[in-house]
Amino acid sequence: MKVLIVEDEKTLAFEMEKFLKKAFFLCDLAHGFKQAVEKLELNQYDYILIDLGLPDGDGFDLLQKAKKSNPDAAYMILTARGKLEDRVAGLDMGADDYLAKPFFLPELQSRMQAIARRKFKVADELLPLGNFNIDLQKRFVFFEDEQIELSRKEFDLLSYLLLHKNRVLTRIQLSEHIWGNFTDGDYDSNYIDAHIKNIRKKLNMYAPTEWLETVRGVGYRIKK
Amino acid sequence: MKLSTKLTLFITGSKLAIVGLFILLLPFLIGQVASNYTNFSLKNQRKKVIRNINNKGMDYYLEGQDSYGSYTMLKDEYIALEIAAPDLKLDTIRDTKRIVEQDTLAYRVLSFTFTRNQKNYLLEIGKTTTSINQYNDALQRFALYVLIILIALSIIIDLIFTRRLIKPLGQIIKLRLGNTRFPFKRNQQPIKTNTYDFKYLDQSLISLMNQINEAFEKEREFTANASHEFMTPISILQNKMENLLTEEVEPESLQEHIVEMMRTLERLKKISRALLLISRIENEQFSKQEQVEPLSLINEVVEEIGHRLEEKNIRLNIDLKYNNKQAQMNHDLLFQLFYNLINNAIKFNRENGYIRITDHFDKGKYSIQVINSGQGIPATEIPHIFDRFKKTGQAENTGYGLGLAIVKSIASYLNLNITVTSVAEQETNFNIRFSTNDRSV
Repeated sequence: MKVLIVEDEKTLAFEMEKFLKKAFFLCDLAHGFKQAVEKLELNQYDYILIDLGLPDGDGFDLLQKAKKSNPDAAYMILTARGKLEDRVAGLDMGADDYLAKPFFLPELQSRMQAIARRKFKVADELLPLGNFNIDLQKRFVFFEDEQIELSRKEFDLLSYLLLHKNRVLTRIQLSEHIWGNFTDGDYDSNYIDAHIKNIRKKLNMYAPTEWLETVRGVGYRIKK
Repeated sequence: MKLSTKLTLFITGSKLAIVGLFILLLPFLIGQVASNYTNFSLKNQRKKVIRNINNKGMDYYLEGQDSYGSYTMLKDEYIALEIAAPDLKLDTIRDTKRIVEQDTLAYRVLSFTFTRNQKNYLLEIGKTTTSINQYNDALQRFALYVLIILIALSIIIDLIFTRRLIKPLGQIIKLRLGNTRFPFKRNQQPIKTNTYDFKYLDQSLISLMNQINEAFEKEREFTANASHEFMTPISILQNKMENLLTEEVEPESLQEHIVEMMRTLERLKKISRALLLISRIENEQFSKQEQVEPLSLINEVVEEIGHRLEEKNIRLNIDLKYNNKQAQMNHDLLFQLFYNLINNAIKFNRENGYIRITDHFDKGKYSIQVINSGQGIPATEIPHIFDRFKKTGQAENTGYGLGLAIVKSIASYLNLNITVTSVAEQETNFNIRFSTNDRSV
């Protein structure tokens, strides 16, 4: 999967690149409007991430231009503005998703994958997880043929960890994914821990869940 | 007391005082006038008599005798002329008694000596003192009536005039100071008046309000810009730390440090976001076109936050009897408002406590109450709980003092009225009153 990151803050662009590379994306960087237009004319990308606040042009204009040269790409708007109108305008102009800065990198990746599932119609597949199988689209967890009831939040948590398997996710990253921006910063409390405990309890009735690790002082990880 | 009332009282009072004084002085004044007038007429009569004597000669009156006297029929006036001692010189007017045909009467007498044909004569013209004062009562009464009518007229005129005069002041108070919602209206029209002082007052108020608006605008802009500008550096730091974490840094304790740092950064992020949200609400960047059903909204909030109830084993009771739909709302903002309130209701609750969410009509307007058990908020702190960065001091490390500031700005944007009551060691009640008074469910 080829990604073009259009972001004028170079450090930020590098960090995004670094993270996405580990998830096996091929990244290309553009630090301005002109550079982005050049790259778009030469290459075809699967994902185009556009920062709205570019120094030498408007992100929305770039989006419209890019849509012509790369009509099949998935578009994501990244902005520090975070205004509702920007979001609506961006989605109206054909962006597939919108992320307000600052965002967590696993969140970016999972949004990109969600677009991929939607846009590129990835066939339904059951992801194996230990002795369990998980259907991300239909949001089911199976043990053999038996369906296991997880609450909405529990499923969100499990699938998010699965999506980023072999990578530790902190409680902050997890709770922002699940509760968005509403949480007011009580990260010392054990909401995530409580949910994990529930997940383990529900799944352990069928089979062991040693793949769901607690990383002391950091967070959780699914190891495969 | 209102200025117009004060002026009315003062005008009426001062006039009545002056009239009272005048009425007290009136008998004396009229007596004075009558007495002076009598003296004046006595002198006139003397002139006439002297003229007559000059014309007709002394003998015409004396007819060879030593004296001459003439009375009116009721003896209220008399004229006497007689030869006087040669060295007598008189030109006086005084009150004195005279015996006239056995009656002793009080007279005002003009005595005047003059010389004719080498003889000294004394002329006396008298007027009874009763006749002097005969019109006093009638005059007094008449003066009194006229005075009362004049005073009444002048009070009415004064009142009408002062009312007109201070009307601009009332307008200034009503338009500029009454019902001021912040931020103030722009381009306020000056009030029409030709009284310089009011003009000056009005202009000063308008310019003050504009200054406040400007300062507020600047503060808002600054808040928005500053919190916005924080976002990119926060992004960079945050993403760097995330990448550090994925690099499996050794030793493990270093990872814990990174998580610690991320947590601190998260605080900064939350504060910036909250400030940005407040400034967006204050900049009216949210639509107010949505219809919201309270029950489903609160259920949404509870779905998001309900898991936290278990922590303290809190009972939640939602009882919205009327569930009155609210128009001209913003769903997301109202969600945030109730989220923050219910979040606080959990945060400041006690173990095994309760939260009750009920609705009722308060002053005819639909209201929702969020009540929680717990320590309560001291009465002295209630006025400050909506201030930015104010902690209620109930528990340590509880939020960053912006949750209720957000509630407040949402409430004022959506025209909701929030009142807080609290009983120490028992419960706290947040009452949210909507501005519609539609009772239909």
